[in-house]
Amino acid sequence: MNYSSSVKPVFCPGCGDFGVHAALLRALTELNIDKSSVAIVSGIGCSSSMPHLFSTYGMHSLHGRPLPVATGMRLANSKLTVIVTTGDGDAYGIGSAHLLHVARRNVDITMIVMNNQIYGLTTGQASPTSLIGAKTVSTPFGDIEEPINPLAVALSAGATYVARGFSGDPMHAAELIKNGILHKGFALIDMLSPCVTFNTLNTYDWFRKRVYKLGADHDPSNFGKAIEKAMEPEATGWEKIPIGLFYQTKRPTYEELDVTTKNGPLIETPMPSSGDVEKALEIYK
Amino acid sequence: MADIVIRIAASNGDGVESSGSLLSKIAARSGLNAYYSRGYQSVIRGGHVWSQVRISDAQIYSQGDGIDILVALNQDAIDNQSGQLNSGAFVIYDTSKANADVLKGKGYKLVGMPLIELAVENAGDPIARNVVSIGALLKILGLDIKVFEKILSEMFLRKGQAVVDNNVKAANAGYNFAGIEKAYELKGDGKARYIINGNTALAIGAYASGCKFYAAYPMTPASTIMNWFAANENRGVVFKQTEDEIAAINMTIGAATAGVRAMCGTSGGGFSLMVEGLGLAGMTETPIVVVESQRTGPSTGLPTKTEQGDMLFVMHASQGEFPRIVVAPRSVDEAFYVAADAFNLAERYQCPVIILMDLFLSESSRTVDSFDFSKVKVDRGKIATAAGSERFKRYEITPDGVSPRSIPGTQGLEFIAASDEHDEYGDLVSDVLAGLEVSVETRRKMHEKRMRKVDTMLKNENVFVPHVDTEGADYYLVCFGSTTGAALEAAERLRAAGKKVGVISFNYLMPMDKEKTKMLLAGKKLIDVECNYTGQLAYLLAANAGIDIEHKILRYDGEPITAAYITEKANEIMLKW
Ligand SMILES: Cc1ncc(C[n+]2csc(CCOP(=O)(O)OP(=O)(O)O)c2C)c(N)n1
Ligand code: SF4
Ligand SMILES: [Mg+2]
Repeated sequence: MNYSSSVKPVFCPGCGDFGVHAALLRALTELNIDKSSVAIVSGIGCSSSMPHLFSTYGMHSLHGRPLPVATGMRLANSKLTVIVTTGDGDAYGIGSAHLLHVARRNVDITMIVMNNQIYGLTTGQASPTSLIGAKTVSTPFGDIEEPINPLAVALSAGATYVARGFSGDPMHAAELIKNGILHKGFALIDMLSPCVTFNTLNTYDWFRKRVYKLGADHDPSNFGKAIEKAMEPEATGWEKIPIGLFYQTKRPTYEELDVTTKNGPLIETPMPSSGDVEKALEIYK
Repeated sequence: MADIVIRIAASNGDGVESSGSLLSKIAARSGLNAYYSRGYQSVIRGGHVWSQVRISDAQIYSQGDGIDILVALNQDAIDNQSGQLNSGAFVIYDTSKANADVLKGKGYKLVGMPLIELAVENAGDPIARNVVSIGALLKILGLDIKVFEKILSEMFLRKGQAVVDNNVKAANAGYNFAGIEKAYELKGDGKARYIINGNTALAIGAYASGCKFYAAYPMTPASTIMNWFAANENRGVVFKQTEDEIAAINMTIGAATAGVRAMCGTSGGGFSLMVEGLGLAGMTETPIVVVESQRTGPSTGLPTKTEQGDMLFVMHASQGEFPRIVVAPRSVDEAFYVAADAFNLAERYQCPVIILMDLFLSESSRTVDSFDFSKVKVDRGKIATAAGSERFKRYEITPDGVSPRSIPGTQGLEFIAASDEHDEYGDLVSDVLAGLEVSVETRRKMHEKRMRKVDTMLKNENVFVPHVDTEGADYYLVCFGSTTGAALEAAERLRAAGKKVGVISFNYLMPMDKEKTKMLLAGKKLIDVECNYTGQLAYLLAANAGIDIEHKILRYDGEPITAAYITEKANEIMLKW
């Protein structure tokens, strides 16, 4: 199945988001899901233009709001494969509250965050993942805020699939996305995706020196180890940045627990008859 | 004709709410008309609260004025409520909690009752004092205690026959208490009625029209809509409590995009957070219904008091321009039909529909003879189901401005909805194309296409005009939403006093059929009646119909406007005009 649209990417040449696009395209192609049952939802940002590159359903929504839109879609029709493509500002800044709550609800959404540690579309301000000392247009004297650790946040909020990829390795990233889509429940994939235009600190070279794949010895069912690995960049003064699957566990999804959606997609429940309405009104008599 | 206002007052946690709902239920079952409203505060225990039940054998449209019978369960109730007593009123007070000395010698009928003692004696539980006092009320009102006994047995059946018997005993102890005598002759017509509040009627109306998804963050006075959807999830609907109102409206947009009729609800504060989402629905042409139940503002204001201060806000909230429909139901039963209709309008014109309620309408219960389900018709608007040979144009430019939408899951009709300006396919014209000649043209055409839907709705729907209740009156009270009930009664009283007064009321406020509205209002002596300071409806009419209303009756103290309030002020105005 061809998942591409006729829309051409507008990323700057060399932007990390090209790699993420390639990875998502590959994951979908390998899974071969009917594209009419796929919805790709984004917020606002360079990275959030992603849905337009696909010939699936989807929505390019508001800055920070793709998760609630995606949740509404899943609750309305649990037959849809719902993927969120977003940026670090979108996901960890303005939309951070939604991340916590979708994770604890375990809604079956795969969220891919193109984390370039900068606000790309608004031309280079600091983001919640910018490192201390990072000089950006909004932090000309260097960022003084501790960056968010998205993996640790997602883990503690109850995400059931937590991974990190690197757009410099799209094959590996595609694997993480594919397994995230196959995973039943909320999957967060933080994608290190350099902004070659505005982030002069966290460049491809910078990442290549630091990124390494979690080995076969990492047990993704071990929550404690997952947290430990998630904290490794901070623990090593950003010398070592592991990528791969940090954690995966099984927990019923929100859709499987809700008294209505557990019986099947909401969109397929019948409209009430006038007898049903009368019954609903009965207790007010 | 008998028309009686009963107020039961105590402190929060004393059960005045259940007394009010029980008494109004008894009236409804007895075939009478009732209007039940509450006064309460933003505290869970303590404070001073009351339930007001107006009962009549004639049709009533509002909560009534003054108090004919006061049930005072503590001293505060005597002290705070005596100013509202009508002449010759009954005052029943709990002798263990209050004395009525201050009311002696003023022509009131004072009856002290040891309510708690009677409750303990008959039902073994002080909590039954409400049952005792209702028993007493039924005697005064001339109502059959059998109806109450039946309700008690339904209520307490689960707790066992002994509990039922005890409560029936308690009720009769009140009914037969020495000193309590029949004072009214209320005769029902034998037809049991519904007794239901505005929010519940709205929720069930939405459900009736196939609304399956409701998202909300708790906020008075919208919360009882949420309570209905939560309690009725097993009827094949989903209620989602969200982390905030931003999530609520965006989830609603997601669910509606996926093809389910979806609604969210809140009060002014939460609506403020929803504003950006409202624009998203406007831009992506997603049919959603948003309920805004107003309370006294600005900011947190008086969270448990009413106002009509958000009308212009909901009409203009959001950056940019897009079609929206704003409707303010005028009564509890109208809330049912308006909610059902809102989804048809939303889907027909693919735009947000805002149902503007207020605390008074949301939370007051009134008797409704029947609901006409045949009026609930489902029209889902233009939906594309079969793919053509070309790529699907979700935002196709059409003469009426409405483009067929497709539901995710339908093969060959995929599209990406965008909050950015887009072309007919949904592809952006906001990034690399912005400002190029071709996209300047696209933007213009897309904006015109969306805005054209306003003309289409005005042409195809007949609801966007006010309602005139009497022809040929000398004066007209002009109002919208819940104020209508009190205005209708005020006009009735003024007519009874020989003044020719009518009412022009608005429910569907936006868009407005300017020509017809102007025709209906022009050349008449108009008095604007609203629950706000600035006269927002008057402002709207000046802007839309060129009608300037000089005389206004405005109330903004948090209390609902009453027929007496309007009558008095209208008389003052008419005297000079
Ligand atoms: C409510 C709101 N505030 C601000 C903006 C402006 N804005 C657009 S994108 C963006 C930041 C994008 O950063 P990120 O999410 O990291 O995406 P990137 O461009 O880096 O891929 C901001 C602040 C907006 N569109 N909406
Ligand atoms: S500004 Fe940065 S993030 Fe945006 S497209 Fe260019 S390189 Fe990518
Ligand atoms: Mg970014």
